[in-house]
Amino acid sequence: MKSFRTSSDKWLLAAFVACIAFTLILILVPVLHAMHLSLFKSESFVSESKWVGLANYVQVLSEPAFWRAFGIGIVFALLTIALQLVLGIACALLLDQPFFGRPVIRGLAILPYLLPTVVVAVAFQWLLDGSLGLLTIWSEQIGIGRPAWFENPLIAMGVVVVASVWTWTPFVTVSFLAALQTVPKSLYEAARVDCAGPWARFWHITIPMLTPMLVVIILLRSIWMFNKFDIIWLLTKGGPLGATEHLPIMAYRRAFAQYDVGGGAAVATLSFAVLSILIIVYFHFYPLEEKDQRT
Amino acid sequence: MKKSLAARAAIMVAAVLLGLWSFFPIYWMIVSSLRPEKELFGQPELFPRNIDWNFTSYRNLLELTDYPLQFANSICVALVVVLITLVVSVIIAYVVTRFRIPGKTAMIGSMLYAYMFPPLLLAIPLLSIFAKIGFADHLIAVVLAHCTLSIPLGVWMLWGFFKVMPFDLEEAAMVDGCSRAGAFVRVVLPLSLPGIVTVSIFSFLLSWTDYVFSFILVNSDANKTLPVGLASILGSFDARWGELMAGATLITLPLFILFMFLSKYFIKGLAAGAVKG
Repeated sequence: MKSFRTSSDKWLLAAFVACIAFTLILILVPVLHAMHLSLFKSESFVSESKWVGLANYVQVLSEPAFWRAFGIGIVFALLTIALQLVLGIACALLLDQPFFGRPVIRGLAILPYLLPTVVVAVAFQWLLDGSLGLLTIWSEQIGIGRPAWFENPLIAMGVVVVASVWTWTPFVTVSFLAALQTVPKSLYEAARVDCAGPWARFWHITIPMLTPMLVVIILLRSIWMFNKFDIIWLLTKGGPLGATEHLPIMAYRRAFAQYDVGGGAAVATLSFAVLSILIIVYFHFYPLEEKDQRT
Repeated sequence: MKKSLAARAAIMVAAVLLGLWSFFPIYWMIVSSLRPEKELFGQPELFPRNIDWNFTSYRNLLELTDYPLQFANSICVALVVVLITLVVSVIIAYVVTRFRIPGKTAMIGSMLYAYMFPPLLLAIPLLSIFAKIGFADHLIAVVLAHCTLSIPLGVWMLWGFFKVMPFDLEEAAMVDGCSRAGAFVRVVLPLSLPGIVTVSIFSFLLSWTDYVFSFILVNSDANKTLPVGLASILGSFDARWGELMAGATLITLPLFILFMFLSKYFIKGLAAGAVKG
């Protein structure tokens, strides 16, 4: 199949080599450079840097703050992933039913996913504004006072989690809805003949048939939720008192606010390492050669 | 299969709740941008009685801040990103599916690997590199940074498209005297148009909505893209909610217009995991 050659192929191959080189340089150099930076001590990106070997890692790993940030990241990721999965699957099952106005609701259900994170953050800040926010006023009217949305550590975490779930649940909904269409209808009919209720049909047909798809969804959600920076940064900046500060925010703070570029790069590299494990698992379940099955 | 009335009513109620949950924050944002400023401070009404037909919030935003300039920045950056992404990913995906390239799985694999990395972790080393070669605080830096996301995505999606396209068609065109370029333009491009549209939409979306890269790479107000510009209004001492909501609505509007006309491609791309997040 690849035997056909024409005289212009030389140029095409040259262009290909140029494009590949451009892309790989663009992508791999930053990753390698992060590792390189993490071995030096420097105060900013332009000042002199001094070779310190693994000292940045030793220092970062020995700080309780690092482990706290790591734990907060895991709590945030687990909460958001679990909620997104449950809600997303429920929404997909709902949108799979025929009802009046379904195309409209399907469209609306996707919208939050298209919004820029900054718009989500601004919209939630407005709903939760300390004196003028709609939700603040409503909770005052039903008699629970004005919640300290961004000052109470637990509530702040809750706000960040709800905003993330609101935005990224449609990913699960859309993927699961698409996957639902691949389950043969005859299975459901056979189950109905055998008097299986909707609940039994869901657990014994839908879930087993879609387990591979679910694994992929869960892995992708974990890879991305574990390192969400913008939504947390824009809503709480890691506060109050570091209650929502996870590794990416810590990396940012070290590199830009505490003038410790090496330490920030060390945190970033450690996050790469954790992520790489997840990504390797993802490629194990979903090898590249089969990728076009999904498009 | 007939459903009982109760079951249908339950589905309707759930659907309405889902619609409200998804749309209410957006509705509230748009409504707040349209109300007269005074009313933002009063008792909130779900359905505003007064609409400010002077669009004071929008006027203030456009006249008193760098928003128009940042809008232009965002458009320029997004269009250049789409262009680079299309050229590079079409060439890579086409050659990879039509020629025997040693180590191609490793190449594509490393691209996808990087695609999964969170932007912030790539932005820190990128800033260090750009600072050294003098591109810091420059839109070129933002364009290149966005390409680290959009090119792997483009290659990934177009690879799937070109792979399933029968080679016989091009071969026939070439036997009939077309050059490879001619066969590509006359046969492959028209057939892969849906894929190319999807890649364009999502590269635009990635670039248009990105906050992290421009936040890290750009400092001066004049070089900010829209999301960073909006966030800096949010961060300023005295939050002007009317103007903020107007700004948020203006960022969102182009996306919703695109979505209305091209929702088929959006949904296909979303189901294929095209958006990082």
